[in-house]
Amino acid sequence: MTNKKQIRRAALLLACLGAAFAGLGYRLVDLQILCHDELRERAEQNTQREIWRTPRRGDILDVTGNILATSVPVKTICADPSLIGNLQPVVAHALAPLLQMNESDLTIRLTPRIGRNDKGETVTNGLHYVRLAKNIPEDTWLKIAATMSDLTFGIDEKKLSRDNRAFLRNLREHAVFSEPDQMRVYPNGALASQVIGFPGKEETPVGDHVLAQIVGRDGIELSLQKQLSGVAGWKLTEVDRRQRELVAQRDEDVHARNGLDVVLTIDAAVQHIVETALAEALQKHTPKSITGIVMRPSTGEILALASLPNYDPNQPNTITPETRDRVITDVMEPGSTFKIVVVSGALNNGVVKLTDQFDCEHGHFAFAGRVLHDAEPHGILNVEEIITKSSNIGAAKIGIQLGAQNLYDYAWNYGFGQRTGIPLPGEARGFLYPVKDWSKVSIAQIPMGHGVAVTRLQMLYAMGAIANGGWLMRPMIVNRLQEHDGSVVQRYAPERIRQVISPKADAEIIEALKTVPTKQGTAPDAALKNYVVAGKTGTAEKVEHGAYVHGKYVASFIGFFPADNPQLCISVVMDEPKEGYYGGQVCGPVFRDIAERCASYLNIPPDANLATNSPALAVESRQHKF
Amino acid sequence: MAKNRKNQAAAIRFGPALKASFLCLLIGGSGIGFVWEKGQNYQLGQQIHQREVRLNRLQADNKQLDDQIAFLRSPVMLDRRVKELQLGLAPMTPLQVVRLVEPIAPPPTSNPPRQLVQRTGSRRTP
Repeated sequence: MTNKKQIRRAALLLACLGAAFAGLGYRLVDLQILCHDELRERAEQNTQREIWRTPRRGDILDVTGNILATSVPVKTICADPSLIGNLQPVVAHALAPLLQMNESDLTIRLTPRIGRNDKGETVTNGLHYVRLAKNIPEDTWLKIAATMSDLTFGIDEKKLSRDNRAFLRNLREHAVFSEPDQMRVYPNGALASQVIGFPGKEETPVGDHVLAQIVGRDGIELSLQKQLSGVAGWKLTEVDRRQRELVAQRDEDVHARNGLDVVLTIDAAVQHIVETALAEALQKHTPKSITGIVMRPSTGEILALASLPNYDPNQPNTITPETRDRVITDVMEPGSTFKIVVVSGALNNGVVKLTDQFDCEHGHFAFAGRVLHDAEPHGILNVEEIITKSSNIGAAKIGIQLGAQNLYDYAWNYGFGQRTGIPLPGEARGFLYPVKDWSKVSIAQIPMGHGVAVTRLQMLYAMGAIANGGWLMRPMIVNRLQEHDGSVVQRYAPERIRQVISPKADAEIIEALKTVPTKQGTAPDAALKNYVVAGKTGTAEKVEHGAYVHGKYVASFIGFFPADNPQLCISVVMDEPKEGYYGGQVCGPVFRDIAERCASYLNIPPDANLATNSPALAVESRQHKF
Repeated sequence: MAKNRKNQAAAIRFGPALKASFLCLLIGGSGIGFVWEKGQNYQLGQQIHQREVRLNRLQADNKQLDDQIAFLRSPVMLDRRVKELQLGLAPMTPLQVVRLVEPIAPPPTSNPPRQLVQRTGSRRTP
């Protein structure tokens, strides 16, 4: 009897145990097989972290290594309002001074706003977090983190329940956090701002993350965006319960490839000289804008390129359409500076010689139903004097003698009507109409710089070709690309485009251009004490709504020195100057100021024939004893 | 027979005891070693993490100092300081620069210099 009862009990126990094991077994199958994918995903969400590594944007340097643009690591401060509960005022009171924010505004931002996302999940503030402040320095973030961890709420936490203590601990540790970011900084402020450009921010969604990246909006920042930006890296790792990384569990660890440094041909010191001189002229003549460019004619390297008004890329609110880079984006009728094209072309073709004489009709020349004028009446002038006095009628007659097709060809060969290829965005082509579209008077107007539209850069490079033995060079503004340690990745070499005129014709036009910065010429104020200057003035009436506007001028002077061994070619252009409007009158002194200071900085040897009044003769005479 | 059995039961069997102890030690040691190794991994991981953080910090500090140097060396800054301090500095004029002409070396002669010949000869008579 007992045995049967015992057997029954044992069977019952066995059945219970069997059922329990069966249930357990089912649960195991459920967890390990049926719900495997879902649970695995949840486990990975809890432990696995994919951390993106933003590449450091490359620096922009000048040719001597001065930093013109750099990236500084900063923090974006974020908060998870769902972890703050109803303690926003306390947190806001602690953080507002550090974030330099209004306390009440911060309180509102820390208040959770409940909503649902696309998947129907309840989320706080759309992204689970709010951004409180951007571009916060690392030191400030450390202070914020310390403030949060020392936060007290005026209560004895030992008396609180375990859950409440965990809530407060979580608030201190995780409610406010930072994301790594970088900020573009321009240590020299507005210096060369139009060349460098300015940055913007772009956020690219990568998986569940948003990868914030600096992108260029103008200048070199835009045109060399790919080289500057680098490639992002990532880290696939696991974290423990307290969100500390378990380094041994790292699956993938790919470092970001930082962007390359761009070394410009710009020399910050020369740029500063140019901008200072332009700023002084801007104050004196109050033009709408003033531009200055300094280039080496033998290589096409641009040492300085400035356009005022300009902007400070550190302060985006200073960027307006008025602060654009007018050197490459704006076109204008060049005026008399264009005479170098027709005269050099005619000399090259052998159509004229420097000594050939032309009747300048005492300032009035009727041609094709129009009357051309000179600024001052001239009688008989030879070709050199036409350049010296800048006679429109003389230039028109040389143009007529050269012929329309030849004139067009020379203008095209000097680079007008086409982009120079400078690696800056927004370069204009200008206008150079084909001969078939010319009117009857075009052959007389174009030689004096009317009926064509050029950029300031095109005009400078045409003059640069004359300074360079007739060879037109490609503008160079980027010297090389390099790694941050200085190892060169790519070096850019000077590029000859074409020989426009022969060396003989080139020497002749230079002789003519030497007479411009003299007392007999149109730019006596452009002459330098220790160097022979060759250059050309230009004064063009502005065109508005298809008609010339009397009283509004674009004044310019483009010159190079030393004339017989040109080291620098400089262009100064003013748009609507006051207190004078002739190119030689308003731009000549600015040219001289820039040239003298650049010559001193670059240590350009003075012309021997002008250096006879040297005060250092006693010292120099000793050199013969060596 | 009985005596032998009694003797056998009373005897200490060192062999199996040693084997059991060794096995226990092996299993226990393996377990402890495993845990120790995991602990070491964790600690080393934390050290690596701390060093990475420190390296990043140092690199950031270095960058900050580099930027500071760049700012102090910039022409704009130098010009401003010169004006602020009223140092009276002005750009040099070209005529204030003394340019030394490199002396032209005499062309090499085919015959060796006389001095050399004499020295060669002097070796014979000390």
